Amino acid sequence: MTRDRSPAPAFLLTLALLVGCALALPAFVNRGVVFMAGIVAINVVLGLSYNFLFSTAGLLSFGQAAFSAAGAYATALLLLNAPTVPFLLVLLISALVGAVLAVLIGVIALRRTEGVYFAILTLAFSELVHAVIAKTRFFGRNDGLTGIPRPTLSYGFGAIDLGPGDRYYAFVVVAAALVTAVLWWITQSRLGRSLRAVRLDPMRAAFLGIDVRRRRLQAFAIAGAATGIAGGLGAPLTSLVSPDLAHWAESTKPILFTLLGGAGTFWGPAVGALVYAAVEYGTRSLAGASDLITGGLLLGVVLAVPGGILGVAVRLLRRRDPARSRAAERGEPAAPAVATRAAPAGGAS
Amino acid sequence: MISRRALLAGGAGSALALSVNPRIVVGQTNEPIKIGVVTPLSGPQEFIGSFVKSGAEVAAEMINKAGGVKGRPLQLEFRDEKANPAAATTVARELLGLGYNLQLGTISSTVALAYGPLMQQENGINLTCGAGTEKLNHENYTSNVFRVGDGTYRMRAQARFMAEKYPEVTSWTGIIPDHEYGRTVWAVFVDGLLEFYPALTGKTPTIVPPVLVPYGSGDYRNFITQMMKSPAKGVVNATYGGDAATFFQQARPYGLFRDRILMDAANEFIVANALKDQVPKHWTGSHWYYANNKSQLSQDFYQAYVAKTGNRMPMGWAGEAQAAVSAYAAAIAKAGSTDTKAVIAALKGLTWDTVTGPRTIRAEDNQAIKNLEVIQIEPAPGTDIGFKVSDSVQIPGAPVIEPATPGQKMALRTAS
Repeated sequence: MTRDRSPAPAFLLTLALLVGCALALPAFVNRGVVFMAGIVAINVVLGLSYNFLFSTAGLLSFGQAAFSAAGAYATALLLLNAPTVPFLLVLLISALVGAVLAVLIGVIALRRTEGVYFAILTLAFSELVHAVIAKTRFFGRNDGLTGIPRPTLSYGFGAIDLGPGDRYYAFVVVAAALVTAVLWWITQSRLGRSLRAVRLDPMRAAFLGIDVRRRRLQAFAIAGAATGIAGGLGAPLTSLVSPDLAHWAESTKPILFTLLGGAGTFWGPAVGALVYAAVEYGTRSLAGASDLITGGLLLGVVLAVPGGILGVAVRLLRRRDPARSRAAERGEPAAPAVATRAAPAGGAS
Repeated sequence: MISRRALLAGGAGSALALSVNPRIVVGQTNEPIKIGVVTPLSGPQEFIGSFVKSGAEVAAEMINKAGGVKGRPLQLEFRDEKANPAAATTVARELLGLGYNLQLGTISSTVALAYGPLMQQENGINLTCGAGTEKLNHENYTSNVFRVGDGTYRMRAQARFMAEKYPEVTSWTGIIPDHEYGRTVWAVFVDGLLEFYPALTGKTPTIVPPVLVPYGSGDYRNFITQMMKSPAKGVVNATYGGDAATFFQQARPYGLFRDRILMDAANEFIVANALKDQVPKHWTGSHWYYANNKSQLSQDFYQAYVAKTGNRMPMGWAGEAQAAVSAYAAAIAKAGSTDTKAVIAALKGLTWDTVTGPRTIRAEDNQAIKNLEVIQIEPAPGTDIGFKVSDSVQIPGAPVIEPATPGQKMALRTAS
């Protein structure tokens, strides 16, 4: 029997390659594309945190937009009203706001519901958050909050103004990479393994001594925190926050990234976010037809390729070189065979 | 063989010559002037965006046919803002990245407000074609966003017109959607009533608290019965599009407007097109009513618009797009440059000709002063379209526009 090598080097190499490509991007494309690349980096975090909830913990949420909106508004309000608060602390507060909101919703939603009922409850809470934001003067009502400044990054012996050029974009890329690394580490940790146990068979997990509800609440809070940071990163990038951020349509995006890229692999949602952005960019001048083409493509991929783009790629790779593909796949949160089962299992667990 | 000294001297001389006026090359090539048009081209506001799109195209074609701007043609690039601030700012940034620092076309107030900091940060300009929020030229004023059409003061003009036309109607209420646009419409209309009724009729109007309705409501019957009990003889409506059509249709059996004056904020022909001869007799604001404007420019624009689209009843947003495109043309001609700072400087205080007559952009807050238009629509059973415009007026903008207070909230009169 051979001992599996640690999956960390492969993960770190992939992450370093992605970060390197993202940081090199401004040298080759115009500032409009750089801005969109920043949005993609944030969408990657949204997709990965959703997939952590879905594929690792088996929880199907339709209300993730509530947490990203909460994080975005927390960052926006702090940058506008308390500019002396260090930005890293602002992001931590955004994460905390996302996590606390997730716990509040999770405590109620996870008490008696599971599967699709849980999903509908998260959707309802998200719509509640949307309505509260749109009707509260403090949050700028329907107009939202505009003019959110790019922050200054203060550290012990100096400060970096993230306003000029592509500095804030670079910060977003690095921050997104750090959140990605943390999500991966949690997925690989003991907590991640117990979450997978809960997802696969909650009754057996409970029998083995795992507090199923507590684990699910922890997963919901972690995903809420990561989603909150993603929202917090987005506010200074776009320089505005509006109630649309909490709209149910925003909650569908991480689901689409996950289904498009593949729920069965850690990097699936990242691939999904990238492909989604590429399709949107490619059809940007086809007004009206753009949404139709994007929707049709997504539908086609989801129906024809249930494992997502990356799932298919892994299967093809395995067919060509079984040994290499197994090595490449080691350390993923769920094998494709499990993941294809994970989708319905996640909904029914 | 060329010596090293000659080569150095030639190179330095060429560099010096090019550095004197690098724009000579640009001027000689007649390269197109690039203008980005970001407006809703899909979703619920697409019907407005289609007027902006066609209006901008027709305006650019007319300018290009007349020789362009100092020989340079206008080239429009369109993007769909989907009436969503995030989507709008994304496409605006994409266009900025492609060199489209001059943009126009926003409709939604939220989007127009979001553009202020964006355009300042990215060194661009946006000319909004219909956003109604007063914040744009007051507390959220930025030098890079201009409203080339009528702003909040249109409701003050409509209030003044009501005082002139119906001096005996001194009690007013409203049906107001409970969101930013609705509240602004009501607040500014009340401000106008409280100024112009005493000034023109010597009477102080009675302001009855409006009925606030949720946005996108499908059932207005409870609100209608609530309004039926109101003693107000004048009603201002700020519901919009499909909401307004539903409200008017449901109010019909109750006879809500039988003995009341109905002043609609800005639906133009939207409700009339939907309800045809079921539409109640009402007044409505318009950005540009083609039959009300007899200038050669307005008539030529109307003819070209009909020829291009086949639509014989274009709505006012087409006129606002014409005003925006021609404002850029006039400002670029004045500045002799498409540079952002130069165009901003040229737009401030600019007076130029549009389909509604000359407009002037107030330099202090980037708000255009223009004639306001109000039209009366009533049912016309037996006709093709089922309704007719039975009256229309133009109200000069200068006497009704609020003072310029950029960076500060707009001061409004409120009912005690």
